[in-house]
Order: sequence, then C-alpha cells, then structure tokens
Amino acid sequence: MTRYVMVIDQRRCIGCHSCTVACRTWNKLPLDIVYNPVVTEGAQGTWPNVHKSWQPLLCMHCENPECVPCCPSGASQQDEDGTVWVDPKKCLSCKVCVNACPYGMRDASHLEDRMHRFVRKCTFCRDKRQLDPDAKPYCVETCHQKARIFGDLDDPNSEVSKLIGSVKTERLFEEFGTDPQIYYIPELGGKA
Amino acid sequence: MKHHYWEPPIALYLFLGGLAGGILFLAAIFNSFVVPGYAEVFALPVLVSLACVAVGCVFLVIDLGQPGVFWRVWTTSKSIIKWGATFLVIAAVFALLFFLAFIGDAWPIFAGLSDFLKPAADFFLIVAGFFGLCIMMYTGIMLSTLKAHAFWATPALPVLFTISAISTGCAAVVLSIGGWPAVISLESLVVSEIVLEILHVVDIVLVIAELIVLLTMVLSFAGAGNVTAKAAALRWVKGSYAGLFWVGMVGLGLVVPLVMYIGGGHSAAATLIAPILVLCGGCLLRFMVVNTDDRAEIPGENRYYNRVAKNDAEFITKWTYGDNQF
Repeated sequence: MTRYVMVIDQRRCIGCHSCTVACRTWNKLPLDIVYNPVVTEGAQGTWPNVHKSWQPLLCMHCENPECVPCCPSGASQQDEDGTVWVDPKKCLSCKVCVNACPYGMRDASHLEDRMHRFVRKCTFCRDKRQLDPDAKPYCVETCHQKARIFGDLDDPNSEVSKLIGSVKTERLFEEFGTDPQIYYIPELGGKA
Repeated sequence: MKHHYWEPPIALYLFLGGLAGGILFLAAIFNSFVVPGYAEVFALPVLVSLACVAVGCVFLVIDLGQPGVFWRVWTTSKSIIKWGATFLVIAAVFALLFFLAFIGDAWPIFAGLSDFLKPAADFFLIVAGFFGLCIMMYTGIMLSTLKAHAFWATPALPVLFTISAISTGCAAVVLSIGGWPAVISLESLVVSEIVLEILHVVDIVLVIAELIVLLTMVLSFAGAGNVTAKAAALRWVKGSYAGLFWVGMVGLGLVVPLVMYIGGGHSAAATLIAPILVLCGGCLLRFMVVNTDDRAEIPGENRYYNRVAKNDAEFITKWTYGDNQF
C-alpha cells in the first residue's frame, strides 16, 4: 500500500512563496484561489528578540476527511493512496465540502461559465502523478529550500517515514479527528 | 479567511424548507388527532407549503455551480444533503396529492381527479407531515455536522431550527387556514376557529421555547464556547450583529409577538401582525446563522487572505483561459 504524505520543515522555509507560484501556474488558478498559501506568523517580540515564522499550508489529505462523506454527488473522493480530490465531472458545486473543511483548503471556482463551476482543491498533483508514478507535486519540486518533502509513509525507507519517525512533528487541528497527513517540523526557537 | 460560501439563497431555502415542513407537520397532526374529517381547511396551508418548497428548491438549485445536473445529489448514499433532497421531494409529492384532492372544490374541472384522490387525502397528509418533520430536522442537522464551523457544530442548532420551523409553520397556518379552495361553510369556519385557538396557545409555547433555546445557545457560546464560537457569539451579543440579534430577532421576532399573542386576544395584533413578525424572525435567524460561518483561524491566515486579490484582473482571465494560453 501507498500512503502519500508531506512533511513540511518550517526550519527551512524562508517564506519565498515559490510553491504558491508554481502551484498557481501549473493548475492555472484564478487570482483569488490559492491551494497552498504560505502564511506568516509574526514578527513577534521586541528588538532584538524578534521572531517570525512561515507556515506553508495545503490540503491536509486527511485520513478521515470531513469533506468526502458530506459530498452528495460522490465527486469529492479519496484514492487508496490517501489523495483527496474532486472530480469536476461529478461536482455540483453545492459547496458543502468547502464548509466542511476545518482548514479552509477548498474553494469554489467562479471563473468558469456560471453553469459549469466546480470545487477545487490541492490534489498532490494527482494528474501529474498519473502520468509518472514517481513524480512529485510541483510545490515540492520547486522548493529550493527543500522545506516540502513528499513521499510514501508506508515505505519505511522513504525520506518522509524516516523524518516522521525521528524528528518531532506536529499536525494542524488534530482535535477535529480528521487525522491530517501533512506533518510540520516546527521552527526552532519557539515563540518569542 | 474566506467566508460566506453559502449565499442568501441557501439561508432563504433553510427558512422556506423549515416553514414548509412546519406547516405540513402541524396540518398532519391537527388533521389526524385534533379535528379529523375536515381536511379541506388545510388545503390552503398545504398549498403555501408547496409554494415554499418550490421556491426553496429553486433557490437551492440556482445556488449550485452546476444547476443543470442537480439530480447528481442522489448519486451517493451517505451525505445528509442527499437525504434532505429526498425528504423534500417526497413531502412535496404527497403535499401536492393532498392539495389536488381538494382543488375540485374550487375548480369543478378537476372534480374527477379530486374525487379519485379524496379517499386517500388523510394518508397523503400523514406522509407529507412525517417528511415535513424530517425536513425541519435535517436543515439543522446538516449545519451542525459541519464541525469546522464552531457556531454550527452544536446539538442546540437542530433543536433551534426545528422549534423555529414549527413556530413559523404555526404562524403560516394561522394566516392561511380555511381559505381557498375550501368551500366556506359553518362547519369549516368552526373547525378553523378551533384550530386557530389551539395554534394560538401552541405558538406561545413554541416562541417561549425558541427564546430559551436561542438565548441558551448564544449566551453559552459567548460565555463558555471555544475561541472561535466565543468570538462569533460575542459578535451576536455585543458586536456587529447585536442590533439585529437583540432588536430584530429577540425583540421583534420573539418577544413582541409573544406579548401580542398573550395580550392581544382576537385583535389584529395577535392574529395578523404577530404571525408575520414570527415569520420575519425565523427568516432573520436563518440568515444570521448561515452568515456566522466562523472557522478556527490558522495563525496568520487572515492577514494572508486579506492581501489576496478579491477578483481576477481582466488580464489574468484572458491570459489563463483565453487564446494566450502559454
């Protein structure tokens, strides 16, 4: 079995937004829809003890996604490798999944013809991986700091397995019980 | 953080769906247990509920991004929305059958159809009433299962929506009972009067119950909710929604009709103005709840989204989807 996850090393992220641009370009996103925003926390503290950190976000590709069972048309679905994606051919754009996601990582597209809208989200570049199973998402390939690490959690020799097994990682909003599969290695130094 | 993916049509639908469910539920209860044998006085209330379902469904469909394929809601078995759509269709079909059983009284051209359907009219109303109850409950349950939104994810919300739906249904029955196509007779007038007297008391109880549930829900969130729910509830109690909440919903939507019901007797205030205020209050409740879709904030998220362009610039639309595609 394969279980794709992403480890995001916040120690390495410098907040350059390259991943956002790569994603936007590949997925041809409208200006106001962002699959992988890089949000800034801070700057906090007083000089000279100031601190700033970046948190790259994307769909958490949860093990128990909130957005899949609520979909009335079966467009929102999860692959066996854990990828959560939306089939535009089935989507009604009723936006219940957009409201169900605790991370706000879905958006209803509005650029298309009024009668043919659908819900969009990050798919770990599913279309690219279908062409080449070893391919990595564009945000991972473009990250020159190697802050985004993509791989198979079920493969004990993969980089993500080794990282998750050896370094302290955090996940976002675990209290919702969604079992998110994006693991953050928090920044050194903690909060100011 | 982006808000309000569900726009006014959805709030209006939640109101109209609940209202229709409430009317059908009350009509079924009264026709089965309180005044059996005078089903024709409920023909107009059922027609009103049919109109509400029809208009509500139109709002639901036009809010979709792909209205032409709305039937896709029936392609999975799990989602609550699918159940809601099923309830709506069944309730509407049986309400229509019930109404057709009495249309012959007003339009003799349909007399044959009405005579054919009339023996089963009580059964039609019972089925419609049961599925009306399901509609009332599902609207609240659907919102309360979306646990990403702290203000919705509470068991109090389905209770509040159900009580509000029956209460608004009560008001609509009060305004419409005994009207066209029922033939006015001494008997139907007496039955209508009996039902009105009972509904008068029922709505007093319901408005008090709604007041209690509403204040409990909002004030307990304001006092003891998690960070997100507390911020949302404080917006209702003393923030930007305070005027609408205290004056509009609690005052004009609940307390004023309550006073009119109790003190008004048979005046126009109790029989006309109070039900209209209850209906407006129910509508306002749905709008305010749907617009309170606060999600727990990821630190820094709001600042990020506030800086993202709100709409597409013309050049990027052309560049991305026009002829200049790479």
